[in-house]
Amino acid sequence: MSSPLTHQTYNEERPLVMHIDLNSCFATVEQQARPMLRGRPVAIVNRRTEHTMIVTASYEAKARGVGLGMSVKEARRLVPDLVALESDPSKYRYVYHKLMDIMRSYSAHVTMKSIDEGVIDFHQTSQDIRDRPLEEIGREIKQRLRDEIGIAMRCNVGIAPNRFLAKTAAGLHKPDGLDVITHDNLRSTLGTLELRDLTGIAKHNEARLNSVGIYTPLEFLDSDVSTLKDVVFKSIVGEQWHQRLRGWEVDDRPHPLKTAGRQYVLESNALSRAEILQRLHHLCESVGAKVRSQGKIARGVFVYAKTRDRRYWHARRMASAPFFSDQAIYAQACQLFEKAPEAIKEIGVTCYELSDDTDKQLSLFGDQLAQERHTALTIDVINSRYGDRTIHSADTLGTGIYVKQKIPFGSTRYL
Amino acid sequence: MNDEILLHERVQVIAVFGEGLNPCRPLKFRRTNGREVEITEIGLRHPTTRGKRTVHMFDVTDGGADYRLEFDSERLTWHLAMEADRYE
Repeated sequence: MSSPLTHQTYNEERPLVMHIDLNSCFATVEQQARPMLRGRPVAIVNRRTEHTMIVTASYEAKARGVGLGMSVKEARRLVPDLVALESDPSKYRYVYHKLMDIMRSYSAHVTMKSIDEGVIDFHQTSQDIRDRPLEEIGREIKQRLRDEIGIAMRCNVGIAPNRFLAKTAAGLHKPDGLDVITHDNLRSTLGTLELRDLTGIAKHNEARLNSVGIYTPLEFLDSDVSTLKDVVFKSIVGEQWHQRLRGWEVDDRPHPLKTAGRQYVLESNALSRAEILQRLHHLCESVGAKVRSQGKIARGVFVYAKTRDRRYWHARRMASAPFFSDQAIYAQACQLFEKAPEAIKEIGVTCYELSDDTDKQLSLFGDQLAQERHTALTIDVINSRYGDRTIHSADTLGTGIYVKQKIPFGSTRYL
Repeated sequence: MNDEILLHERVQVIAVFGEGLNPCRPLKFRRTNGREVEITEIGLRHPTTRGKRTVHMFDVTDGGADYRLEFDSERLTWHLAMEADRYE
């Protein structure tokens, strides 16, 4: 049964949500920065080796079959003149902040969804701006990107009554598209798409929908709320999909930080156990800095390892007292890692059960924790003033050239 | 794999400090071997930090190769940090 607040009709209000998505962001930024690369197939990778996976490809590379996740070696078989560049986080961070500044000049209600996409909610912006057609503002934002960052910059703009449909609209005509979805063209637009084109519908959800005879977005739209809630998704999620597809907003909610982690693919198969632990230590320092930068403390540590023969191992532990220093994280990760298998290819560490760091909470656990807290925060201040990793453990002295900071996808907390 | 040559070469630069969105515009630079490079386009200028020092990165081209110039705003020095001209 649906809740009394469930809308059965389409949302007929004027579309006031705009989704902006930079096209092939990292590759486009490189083509902007390096004019000689424009028009050429470009791939961005995180490491300068032939076996590394492609993080982003330019449209020229994509048009010739290069896909994300492909190794450079595979891609070169398809595109011998592919230019593979190592990612340059500071450049992308700069473009992210420029994009955010442009978006915030139209509304205070801007949510950055990731490093290359964000949403402007025009519901509560000034009357002057609301009086303007949003398509006009979309075109203006495209022009401002070219004027304020550079002529090679392009973005997709999607406008709709809610976040989900705005993102869907932004994906309709890549690159450089501008589309509007309203209650009038909702059916005709969804009629052109496959289930997997919808954000949030991947293999697993597609199978769930198929199991009740839903094979297209239009069939999904026409499903009744009880089928989605009680049979397909077996939770409130079904009702949310029913609303989302009709243009009602269900995605405007904060996502509190629950975990912070980092992983690393080992640079060599010949590393000793001690060398692997040094890299794990480096990851713990990185994760500790992430946790503290968000004003959090952790209660649990999770470590994993993937082996060269594709086995996956993991272990976790909840501590009796909260912690947040690099040493505390590493001490626990190191203990857990004693049972890790041999022939490791990739390692990762995550802190979980995060909660707000308040003096009161930590002071309950005595002077030693308070002292550890002051030391960790002082080191963070020094590192932020004099450069990342100015102070770190002697154990990780030689790991910085391998374990480099990369751009986090999906989260904008650390940008 | 990669066409970039990473450098840390002190260079002499003629730049204009004017108005607008990009108030600092390097026009040409002279390398230590005496070769002068005329900049035809600034692709991107972005700031980054070296600890508390701000360094401005200028990705530029002369139409034949791409270069990265670094301007240290504290020390007022320019360095050529990268050259890329082997695209084939």
